[in-house]
Amino acid sequence: MAVFEFRSAQELGRIFDQHGVKYLFFGKSGAILLGYSDTTQDVDLYVDKQRDNCEKIVAALLELGFRLTEKEQEEIRRGKDFIQLRNGPFDVDLIFAPDGIERFDDAWKRRVEKHGFPIASMDDIIGSKQAANRQKDRESLPRLLSFMEWLRGHK
Amino acid sequence: MANLECNPADWEDFEAAAKRSIEQHIRNSFVHTYKPVLDDAEYRSFESMEEYRRWCKENLPEWLGYSRD
Repeated sequence: MAVFEFRSAQELGRIFDQHGVKYLFFGKSGAILLGYSDTTQDVDLYVDKQRDNCEKIVAALLELGFRLTEKEQEEIRRGKDFIQLRNGPFDVDLIFAPDGIERFDDAWKRRVEKHGFPIASMDDIIGSKQAANRQKDRESLPRLLSFMEWLRGHK
Repeated sequence: MANLECNPADWEDFEAAAKRSIEQHIRNSFVHTYKPVLDDAEYRSFESMEEYRRWCKENLPEWLGYSRD
């Protein structure tokens, strides 16, 4: 498994843009791109569930080097709520319906652009972790909130 | 949003991270750590987040922290 590096993010961004995929870096990986210091191993992508966007996601993932069977491609086209990919150049979680966010378009309007990437706002990243309310989310929230405060003073 | 106490001591870390190049920051942040069960399949999909949460609860070791309990 290759590690996710900045050039991986650039490649993902370039290919997703080429295919016109509507997506947001999300979760801890999104926060890291905004400057948050912590560790993670996978890339969380919040993707628009519209059928044409799902088609574009499949094409973009195949170009990135993900090995998707016909069945897996069809599941992505259908926009199943959560898809975990460990069959490509880096680990990706595709999230079509994150906890705490009603509609992709709302999160898209609140997005932040940094390093050329569309990233969910810290409000949405934190709000989703609060709604998910898993043990690991509860543990990470105080530091994420600190980061959001810090970020507000460094815009 | 819940009212959680912020820790300004974390800010030193954020200041230090901001001084690193984005390439170095990403290198420091994305670290592959094997997670049992979770990393043992190349592909998984769930119809709903509820189904995913239930699968996590029933299949993942508790110490990974994916449980809501």
